[in-house]
Amino acid sequence: MIIAIVCIAGIGLVAAVALALADRYLAVKEDPRIGMVTAVLPGANCGGCGFAGCDAYARALVAGTAPNGACAAGGDACAAEVAKILGVAATATEKRVALVKCCGTRSEAIRVGDYNGICDCATAAMTAGGDKGCKFGCLGYGACANVCPKNAITIHDGLAKVDKRLCIGCGKCVKACPKNLIELVPASATIHVLCNNPVRGPEVRKVCGVGCMGCHLCEKNSGGKEAGHFTFQGFLAKVNYENPPTDATIVSKCPAKCMIEDPHFETGH
Amino acid sequence: MKTVKSPFKFKGGVHPDYNKELARDMPIERLPLPGELVISMSQHLGAPAKCIVKAGDEVKRGQVIGEKNGFISVLVRASADGKVKAVEKRLGPAGSSADAVILETVPPEDNNPAPILPPLDWKTATREELLKRVEEAGICGMGGAGFPTSVKLNPPPGKRCEYLVLNGAECEPYLTADFRVMLERADRIRVGVEIMRKILGMCAVRIAIEDNKPEAITAMEKAFADIEGNVEIVRLPVLYPQGSEKHQIYATVGRIVPEPPALPIDVGCVVENVGTVAAIADAVEKGEPLLERVTTVSGDAVATPKNILAPSGTKYSDLVAFCGGEKEHPAKIISGGTMMGFAVSSLDIATTKTTSGLLLLSSRKVFQYGSQACINCGRCLRACPMNLNPAEISKAVEADDIKTAENAHVMTCIECGACSFGCPAYRTITQFCRRAKASIRARMAAERAAAAAAKAAEDAKKEAK
Amino acid sequence: MSYYLMILVGAVLVNNFVLSRFLGCCPFLGVSKKTETALGMSGAVVFVMTIASAVTWMLDHWLLTPNNLGYIHTLAFILVIAALVQFIDIAMKRFLPPLHAALGIFLPLITTNCAVLGAAEINCKQGTGFFEAVFFSFAAAIGFGFALVIFSGIREKLAHANPPRCFRGIALALVTGGLLSLAFMGFSGLVKLPY
Repeated sequence: MIIAIVCIAGIGLVAAVALALADRYLAVKEDPRIGMVTAVLPGANCGGCGFAGCDAYARALVAGTAPNGACAAGGDACAAEVAKILGVAATATEKRVALVKCCGTRSEAIRVGDYNGICDCATAAMTAGGDKGCKFGCLGYGACANVCPKNAITIHDGLAKVDKRLCIGCGKCVKACPKNLIELVPASATIHVLCNNPVRGPEVRKVCGVGCMGCHLCEKNSGGKEAGHFTFQGFLAKVNYENPPTDATIVSKCPAKCMIEDPHFETGH
Repeated sequence: MKTVKSPFKFKGGVHPDYNKELARDMPIERLPLPGELVISMSQHLGAPAKCIVKAGDEVKRGQVIGEKNGFISVLVRASADGKVKAVEKRLGPAGSSADAVILETVPPEDNNPAPILPPLDWKTATREELLKRVEEAGICGMGGAGFPTSVKLNPPPGKRCEYLVLNGAECEPYLTADFRVMLERADRIRVGVEIMRKILGMCAVRIAIEDNKPEAITAMEKAFADIEGNVEIVRLPVLYPQGSEKHQIYATVGRIVPEPPALPIDVGCVVENVGTVAAIADAVEKGEPLLERVTTVSGDAVATPKNILAPSGTKYSDLVAFCGGEKEHPAKIISGGTMMGFAVSSLDIATTKTTSGLLLLSSRKVFQYGSQACINCGRCLRACPMNLNPAEISKAVEADDIKTAENAHVMTCIECGACSFGCPAYRTITQFCRRAKASIRARMAAERAAAAAAKAAEDAKKEAK
Repeated sequence: MSYYLMILVGAVLVNNFVLSRFLGCCPFLGVSKKTETALGMSGAVVFVMTIASAVTWMLDHWLLTPNNLGYIHTLAFILVIAALVQFIDIAMKRFLPPLHAALGIFLPLITTNCAVLGAAEINCKQGTGFFEAVFFSFAAAIGFGFALVIFSGIREKLAHANPPRCFRGIALALVTGGLLSLAFMGFSGLVKLPY
């Protein structure tokens, strides 16, 4: 009995001493801050910062090759924590969410062909620009939904919708969309133009019942050009998210019906 | 000169319904000048040309409207006199949009206009002069991909062209444009070959024609009867995709082009479409740049299928109207052949230098299907002419596993469509391959850009020091 | 020589650690999603199992058995193997960084792996000589790797399949593992050995 206890304790002691010595003399020096930074990052490994995961971003942060605040999922709180560890000032980030700038549902936007290939937007876009009459609009084959790490995007009636509460603004969907119609916008903005078609009004009307015609009414109603709430690209109104409009009455005055107040799809199921 | 049977047969391949009888006996007809042309700046493989005209400009036929933009690029010339209505993005046949010049044409004042470029005598002209002419004339491969011909004819140092392979296989169903060119313009092809041999050095010539075009073989035999040097007409067995560059090289000279980025020149071969060769002859002897091409308009929904010589930039609707319009409502419109062509959704698209055909198919010819699960029958493996495993690739891509597809050498896929053609589960295998290739290319481009950015940052750091 | 060959065949095929003895099922299911990681894990197991069995043999023969302490060897082995793996991890990181980069992330997984402990236990139960014991452990680890790589290859193919919802993920992996085990039963009787 005594021998057994002594034996096990002895083995334990020898192992402990060996490990302690090894840790003391054989350890490879690694910046302890890497571990600390990794601990405060969200750990979702979404890749939204542009690195291969939270650990890689932490390494880049410690090495000083990445800007603090690139983590949209962690937001300001996370950036502040990181700043505390690294002793640098955080770049203020506002929470941004993805916005699909199209509201041409199956009933509103015409489809000019039957696409029966792979259910993927990029591939559909390679086939005659997709089956939608509007060559700028959402095809609804879910390339964005497939890459979303938070399942915040769902396809409804041939249109991708983003759930604002789930979106972490990682921007993966922005890259995945072959039509480039997803944009990261400040989560606080509530009025949006849901169209991406810059061509002339009559041309838009041919293919979509709710396409922006570039009539500038939204600009006029929100205080004119000087107010600077909107910019125009061709015949397409764009909300100036540096200075977003706040008056919700302009939405109902849009003749094209492509403006919406807070269009973010809240999943009820 | 002699005619031989193809000594080599590649593995795989399929036998689609050729349906060539619809347009094969229709002589090439010239399209009356359409009222409006849409000339795309992206006529070919490589970087799109840079547009140098703006709305309101008056342009003359043959005037340069798009400049070369990089090494693998071809200049674009106006294919008719007229006034530029607008320069805007237009959808091309392949589904991507590019800048296009919308030209309101005016009929030419002079029926016998002066040549656009000074005619050259190829016998006395130097190699450099001829090469420059090919470049100036804006010639690119007219078979499909549209690789700039001047790049092909100018092999990098250390590489020599031993075989010039003339592609007259035209293995795509319905298309008869190359066949008509071989019949009607055999003398131009002969001159083109002589010019190319002058540029490339005295190389051997192989003229590859499929067995189902005996008239073309006879016409070529007649035209090349008294040519000097090692020239052979190779009769290929009827098999799709015999017209693919790599398979043609194998069928005629028995050489295998390695995986990309290797090019035919790496095995000492240059492959040119017969139409391109005729265009080279015109560019040199007549000073006529590549402004028009023969396009087959066929299919069972067209009133009279025809082979039409039309200026590049002609809208599909004009071509169809010239053929007497639609006999019935087409269920599918394909730009190109049925195997490799692109389905388009309207006739509001314009031809380019590479448009070899336009097919309007009725609902009787079109089979609507949905892709189903792979049943592991292996038919696509037997059909694949590139020795790939399309079943594995398609399954991997379906599961979003591009890495496995890449390991299965999807980048060597030539997108011939033989796998999808025979699939009993109606799987869109070729489309899966295309998708994998597109995302691999996108990833490679991103990696290159990142490497360039990293290098620039390092250089900037060094300079700062 | 033929004796060692028999041990090899016996440990790899007939009494495969995973598929016949059902030892080391946790890494067998855990790291078999990709062939690359399966190979890394196999390498780490071969490495650790060989060294661990050598150390435990010495411990058993020179310390525990002489003192009539056979009844605590499980406890002692766990202690020694855990410390040993930690030590190898630290030493490898220092002296063999490339090897650590390849195997390092798997080392902590092995710390309390039943396959490693099982090999040591079987050795001391059979009372074999030192070289036999070490070679048996080595062969058993090769067998483990063999099963793991086969399984990962199948799972890579399964990842492209579209099975019914109830079978997705680990359920199908377990069914596949069972079938693989049945297949390995076919090797029984190939060689007759105590192992």
